[in-house]
Amino acid sequence: MSQNPPDGFDPNDPLGTWRSIRDANLDAWARGMTAMVNTESFAKAIGMQLDTILAASAPIQKAVHQYMESYLAQVNMPSRNEVVSLAARLTNIELRLDDMQSQLDELLTAVRAIQLAPPPVAELPAPTDAPAAPPAAAPRRTRKARTADQQ
Amino acid sequence: MTTASAAVDTEQLARQLFEEMERLGKSSETFARLASRRLSVQIGQTPRTTIWALNKMRLYHYHPQTLPEQRKPVPLLLVFALINRPEIFDLCPGNSFVEYMLRQGYEVYLLDWGRPGLEDAEFDFEDYALNFLPRAVRALQRHTGKREFSLLGWCIGATLCTIYAAMRPNDGLRNLVLLTAPLDFANKGAGPFNRWLNTEYYNVDELVRQYGNVPGEIIDYGSKMLKPVENFVTNYLKLWDNLDNQAIVESWLAMNTWVTDLVDFPGAAFRQWVVEFFRENKLIEGRLMMEGRPVDMGQIRASVLNVIADKDHIVPNCQSTTAMDRFGTRDKLLLEMKGGHIGLMVGSGASKRTWPQIDAWLARRSG
Repeated sequence: MSQNPPDGFDPNDPLGTWRSIRDANLDAWARGMTAMVNTESFAKAIGMQLDTILAASAPIQKAVHQYMESYLAQVNMPSRNEVVSLAARLTNIELRLDDMQSQLDELLTAVRAIQLAPPPVAELPAPTDAPAAPPAAAPRRTRKARTADQQ
Repeated sequence: MTTASAAVDTEQLARQLFEEMERLGKSSETFARLASRRLSVQIGQTPRTTIWALNKMRLYHYHPQTLPEQRKPVPLLLVFALINRPEIFDLCPGNSFVEYMLRQGYEVYLLDWGRPGLEDAEFDFEDYALNFLPRAVRALQRHTGKREFSLLGWCIGATLCTIYAAMRPNDGLRNLVLLTAPLDFANKGAGPFNRWLNTEYYNVDELVRQYGNVPGEIIDYGSKMLKPVENFVTNYLKLWDNLDNQAIVESWLAMNTWVTDLVDFPGAAFRQWVVEFFRENKLIEGRLMMEGRPVDMGQIRASVLNVIADKDHIVPNCQSTTAMDRFGTRDKLLLEMKGGHIGLMVGSGASKRTWPQIDAWLARRSG
């Protein structure tokens, strides 16, 4: 694209000149509009516009809502509120599960730390004539056995 | 009007006309493909794995692109706003902050808030900052096996991260990077949003009551009205002028894909945003109550990098800069970059200026 002469018009590049004029106009328009939306009057206008839309839609929404509620009840279908309520309960369950998973992870970490820790020094058994038996694995204590011990 | 140097050269004029017609032919073809939606680009392509999910929220772990010994020990968690999708962090290959940070050796995680349904309309900032974000952090710590991490929040995501950092100073947060963070709303004349939301005509209660969640279309309309000519006219004219340039078209398309992928603003959070943040400015004044106590930014112990954009028309600089005095940490830096609210982190300017600066600051604190 050729350079425009200082007076802004290049007869050899009419499209370039047109684009320059267009962009200059758009810039001016953009500056004006940006300044306008940043005024108190515009803020009030946009607020009133929203308020009007909400005021007009409220009774319609209410009527549609009531109609749908009764229609869905008649055809044995859950209403939107019931589905939303169910979804909210599922979210609560998910939160509980997330907490439980975290607690489980903490427990597993603690158990692994205990397993990795060096065993406590035990008292040496009294010498006997019998051959030394290999060390037996610690018995797994079931919940029931532990309960019995505690009793 | 014409001068001797600007005399009409009919040969050149005809050549230009021919070139213009040729360009128009190519442009029309691209335009037809665009209009018929046969031309599209995929955003958020960097490979990732979901490591945690709760309700609609997801925590993604991006696959590392460096050898284990080259990676930074402190992982980075990205948090975007409640509006629009977080894929802006990973727009497209070559224009992706995620990709850049992976190449610098960071373990990058992204928290996606998801698209709230009506059942999520009661969630407010306390839920997001102090219930969900800590859970995502917990999942990240479980995944990395490390306690320390860095947090990078953008826009409302930065506000959420600030609240989290103030209320959970002992959770392992080492570095806090805030991008265009709206924190101080004292200047009621700063930016159109401040004016619009502060008028008594803006009936936020009725809006939330009727819709539950504020539709993304309303949020998008509001954002575009900040610069109406640029968003509704110039944006498309620039595309038209460059329809013959494949790279520009793809870049425009990627950004447009992100911009038009709208997310509803959870109702309770939106109401709180308008009333307690914009109108009452509770956060910066230490009057924002969460978990029964005020959110005190003086409790922030992590190092803070507060990045602002000089041409940000959505979050005026004064909403971020004044917060510097409130952060409790002594290691804090205010960084002013060239660009707008989004341009700060997207595009060639971002990859040459903003990203390296963030990396340089974080790298010194991620050892």
